[in-house]
Amino acid sequence: MEYFSLKRSNAADRGGLNLSSKVYVRSTKSGKVQKIVRELYLRQDIPCSSNLCRPCLETAPTDYTKKVAPFVLSDTPAGSKNFPNGQYLVPDTNAFLTGMDLFEMETAFHDVIVLQTVLEEVKNRSLPLYHRLIALTKNEGKRFYVFFNEFRQETHIPRDVGETINDRNDRAVRKAVEWYNQHITQAVKTRSKSQMRIPSVVMITDDRDNLRKAKMEKVPAITLADFVFSLENADELLDMMSAAQDQREVRSKKTEVFYGEHYTVSKMMTGVKAGTMHQGIFNVSPYNYLEGSVHVPAFDKSLLILGRENSNRAVSGDVVVVEVLPQDQWKAPSTKIIEEETLNKNDNPEVEDGETIVSERERKALQEEVKRAHGQSSEGKPLPTARVVGIVKRNWRQYVGHIDQGSVRSTSKTSRQQQMVFLVPMDKRIPKIRIRTRQAGELLGQRILATIDSWDRDSRYPMGHFVRSLGELESKGAETEALLLEWDVQYKPFPKTVLDCLPAEGHDWKVPASLDDPGWKGRKNLRDLLVCSIDPPGCVDIDDALHARKLQNGNFEVGVHIADVSHFVKPNNAMDKEASQRGTTVYLVDKRIDMLPMLLGTDLCSLKPYVERYAFSVLWEITSDADIVSSQFTKSVIRSREAFSYEQAQIRIDDASQQDDLTNGMRTLLMLSKKLKQKRYEAGALNLASPEVKVQTESETSDPVDVQTKKLLDTNSLVEEFMLLANISVAAKNYEAFPQTALLRRHAAPPKTNFEELANQLKVKKGLELRSDSSKALADSLDTCVVPEEPFFNTLVRIMATRCMMSAEYFCAGTQAYPEFRHYGLASEIYTHFTSPIRRYADLEAHRQLAAAIEYEALDPSLQSKSKLEGVCKNINVRHRNAQMAGRASIEYYVGQALKGKDITEEGFVMKVFSNGFVVFVPRFGIESLIRLRDLATPEPEAQFDAENYVLKVGGEVNGSVELFEKVNVRITDEVEQSTGKRKVKLTLV
Amino acid sequence: MAPPQAAHVNLSPAELSFLRATLAQTPPIRLDHTKGPKDFRSMRAEYDVLPGANGSARIALEDGTEALVGVKAEVEKSPWRPSATESNVLSVAARDVEMRDQDEDESRGKGQNAWIEMSVEIPGFRDDDPLPVFLASMLTESLLASGELKDRLYINRRFHWKLYIDILLLSPPLSYPLALLSMTTHLALLTSRLPALKSEKDEDPLFDDDWDASVPLYPKDRPTQPDTPPVIVLAMAVGSNIIFDPCKEELSVADAVLAVACTSAPSSPNGARVVSIRTIDPPSHLTPPGIPNAMNSATGGTVPASGAEALTQRELLANSGVWTPPRGGMKRGLISEVVKMVVEKGGIAEEVIGALQSIEVG
Repeated sequence: MEYFSLKRSNAADRGGLNLSSKVYVRSTKSGKVQKIVRELYLRQDIPCSSNLCRPCLETAPTDYTKKVAPFVLSDTPAGSKNFPNGQYLVPDTNAFLTGMDLFEMETAFHDVIVLQTVLEEVKNRSLPLYHRLIALTKNEGKRFYVFFNEFRQETHIPRDVGETINDRNDRAVRKAVEWYNQHITQAVKTRSKSQMRIPSVVMITDDRDNLRKAKMEKVPAITLADFVFSLENADELLDMMSAAQDQREVRSKKTEVFYGEHYTVSKMMTGVKAGTMHQGIFNVSPYNYLEGSVHVPAFDKSLLILGRENSNRAVSGDVVVVEVLPQDQWKAPSTKIIEEETLNKNDNPEVEDGETIVSERERKALQEEVKRAHGQSSEGKPLPTARVVGIVKRNWRQYVGHIDQGSVRSTSKTSRQQQMVFLVPMDKRIPKIRIRTRQAGELLGQRILATIDSWDRDSRYPMGHFVRSLGELESKGAETEALLLEWDVQYKPFPKTVLDCLPAEGHDWKVPASLDDPGWKGRKNLRDLLVCSIDPPGCVDIDDALHARKLQNGNFEVGVHIADVSHFVKPNNAMDKEASQRGTTVYLVDKRIDMLPMLLGTDLCSLKPYVERYAFSVLWEITSDADIVSSQFTKSVIRSREAFSYEQAQIRIDDASQQDDLTNGMRTLLMLSKKLKQKRYEAGALNLASPEVKVQTESETSDPVDVQTKKLLDTNSLVEEFMLLANISVAAKNYEAFPQTALLRRHAAPPKTNFEELANQLKVKKGLELRSDSSKALADSLDTCVVPEEPFFNTLVRIMATRCMMSAEYFCAGTQAYPEFRHYGLASEIYTHFTSPIRRYADLEAHRQLAAAIEYEALDPSLQSKSKLEGVCKNINVRHRNAQMAGRASIEYYVGQALKGKDITEEGFVMKVFSNGFVVFVPRFGIESLIRLRDLATPEPEAQFDAENYVLKVGGEVNGSVELFEKVNVRITDEVEQSTGKRKVKLTLV
Repeated sequence: MAPPQAAHVNLSPAELSFLRATLAQTPPIRLDHTKGPKDFRSMRAEYDVLPGANGSARIALEDGTEALVGVKAEVEKSPWRPSATESNVLSVAARDVEMRDQDEDESRGKGQNAWIEMSVEIPGFRDDDPLPVFLASMLTESLLASGELKDRLYINRRFHWKLYIDILLLSPPLSYPLALLSMTTHLALLTSRLPALKSEKDEDPLFDDDWDASVPLYPKDRPTQPDTPPVIVLAMAVGSNIIFDPCKEELSVADAVLAVACTSAPSSPNGARVVSIRTIDPPSHLTPPGIPNAMNSATGGTVPASGAEALTQRELLANSGVWTPPRGGMKRGLISEVVKMVVEKGGIAEEVIGALQSIEVG
């Protein structure tokens, strides 16, 4: 009987082993489980990419221009003690996982071969590390080459029967190293008979078994630590290795565990689906490091998580799964300030024996909490508490901090002894990080960047490792970089790929003279209009300009002209991607971190006076009662007549002798803006306040000279009103054109519960009523919150009301129902950002959508995909908030510097009362600070806290009482805060 | 039962009569004279032919009939059914730590018939034609009868595997294909693997993504229960002779045909047990009868006046050598003899199952 097999056999494949396959199981989101078979076509033309090798250059595949990708690995790689002829490094997966910071060093680790096997494993183990590794391979100076060993016939190995995946991958790495060594040796020999310097290809692994097998197979291999030892600055480098691994080995003898075990992923997922567990982001209270909260979709209010045991190794920002605790364990949120610093001063990072998870003092603090919770009525109602049962996603990043002096045993700079020290992060919500270092003496007093590697059940604090030092504490450079890192602001210079997207003419770019030029297509010539811009003094990135003129029918034509950034930044090129990553320009006191390269931001896009610029214009016909008759959107060319500062514009308007058309136009604008503002307030727009101060700096050194509160002029609100109007008009137009994908901005109405506390405080303390049923009601009742003898009181209430609000957010129209579009604060049905495309990415997207809506150009596909836009919105929402935070932190730092060494008495207001302290706000400097009971007198005076009346009665020698909203005189000095190493203003009661 | 009619045999009554006579001898002489009554036709078999399926097999017989079977498993949610222990249905969150000693016991009797779906495709037949439908129901019945297979598909109270068995006859049905399809299915199931479960108890199932870690549907390393999927063998009776694995021509003279599904049973002393038995209407019932001289007017006989009379006359002439289609079913004694031959030590069942198992091993 003739017989054939249906099977494709490996052996019977015409002798050539060029086909292999890979089988695995894939579980899909919908719960399906599939067996996947992938065929692998093995090739022989994947180059080794060493500049020593000629044959590979000839066979390597070419791209569409018939060019071979340039070879990466140097022909004269650096050598080391063990490999004097130079080496190419082949790290295994664990080497990257533990030593990524090492590999990123500029000074060491060049000519590295990243095997495909390793790259895939890194991707599976840690996505952030994978991205960093990819970034490394793109860095030309580092010479990292990704070798697709699984696709090259000589280095592909099938998995043996009964072999674990890890063993197989280790074998694949050894095989690749073995092949590389043979290949390079041969390449060098064919190149020249005389050359004897053959670089070794060295595997880097910490796996003992792998090392042993490598030795057996005569494959050069070395541990990461041994390799680093042979380098010059070994001490610093060794500190940068992740502590996760060796930690485990050292600890294995000890059995004491501090924390409960996390549930398995499947158990958590089942629980979350069934509704018995909840998933959310873990947040730690800035006032009390032992109190965290998790907002979960199932409940309106956040669940409380009290104590370390319940937060079970979650770090602020992690995505966690929680389980609600039985009702008898519910507690009220804390009324007490608890800082890690004060409670755990005497922890020893080296020894952990005999410690319990909750130290005795921590326990005491918690007990007091419970007592308080039980003895209270309205405010102190017990809230549901929960405990963390597992962590879905760690959001560990790099943390800035400083070394806790108390944890360092020997401070000698010469001692190279390795010791365990604590790093105290700047962010109070992050626990102390244990770091193993050889250079403790040098690191003291420095701002340090570190990461968390692991947090095991048997370790009270997370383990981490040193990344780099930013510089001396309190030095301007270090502190600025620290806050940029803390708020994740991308501050590196723009890469070359981005700069390549700029117009080739550079600063010489001009609006084309000929009207036939393609640049003029679809553009209106508005050069004859009397346009001017009004901005803060010294502004160089001028986004917007305005004009107004009277029409023959008695109405006015008003135009808002916005820099036409979308003409220069085309969707999906490198510059666009970078801008969408950055999301916004970040303004610090002495520095601006741009979203777009300088050339565009401050020149080509900026609507500078006296030159022609491309613009995107919104033109309205408005009656003298500020009713809009019609609106029109067009791309245009304008020539700004003047760039005013707010103050200059105000002076010019107020000067009756100026009767030129430009000034009269501004007067018209001012008149209209006042009417628009009136209408807005009538519709229920809120006038909120935030403490804003301006730091005056010396121009040369940018050292702070003085702090002032910002002045508001009529011209400020002139610009503001018309920008709001433009944004609202554009939002409506974009939504009409793209009901699913328009990028809009919404401000959700705050839940009533947010105002409960403030309303209660006002009622109890001042007998005032705060209504929050609608924005109109809130606006009106805020107006009535006046105390005649204290003009600032109203502003204080507005500041506090602002903190009860939700934050506004960008969103994509299709993700919300129309009523949800509402902007609560502006009392507008629909809103977007359109007017600052130079410094906000959202505006740039709105420009593109508007351009498509008026059929100026086709819409890019990326702006038609809801999911892509949602991603963009999510990112820019985060960036936006971070930029604000970074800006505030910068002001805080400079205020601190300005007050350095000063001793001033100022008036302030009590904003919040705790049982062991209170928060005072000083309007003059826009600072708020905590005054603890123990700051009032030593020993700490006894005090009674009347939570219902918000009064703290202090006994002892102070003998007085502090109540909410009370005006107090405080003495302002400065001190370096122990816990964060930041210079901060310190307030004391006078 | 409706006759699942396969291809007709073009034999004259005289040939049929001769064939029957040889088979009814003691010892019988089969069409392939080298084979005894218990001998199976030779076959070629291989498994794991379809890389994307959980299990697959292909068997080709010497007469050119060939079958391919693929087994695919999918995770399916079990409909929630209230039970006595309802209180801890979702006990995951309640942190119950009761551990069950034997998860095998847990799954016993929990399987449901709907968890196995079978489709039989035969070239030239629609999928609602009697032959494929009848074959599918016979095969499903034998798989479900013991209840072992469906219990293996139990994952936890909320999830189970659903098994899709696709049977494809690659050639036209030259002989009655039941035994071939059954053996191919048997081999496919025997080599089927399911992804290894990582989650515990009633959690949403989570599986190991390493295919090498997958577990066989019929584990081999359990010496206590080396059970196998059932396999159907065909036996036919001619006179007092019993012949296994008849070919097409032999079937056309069978007195009766029996499909016996058997499986290995470690508990019984013989090592095999019968799962189900069905009689099959043999094609011989439809063969045209020969006309004896006595009934042929051309040869001087008299044509019977009515159909009933013709039958009576034929019965009287049954042993005269003129072909008469057999009537009636299997005799009781023969059935018990067949069963005995199948399950006895070293019997047909052991031989067939052993042979199929050795394909996988070797």
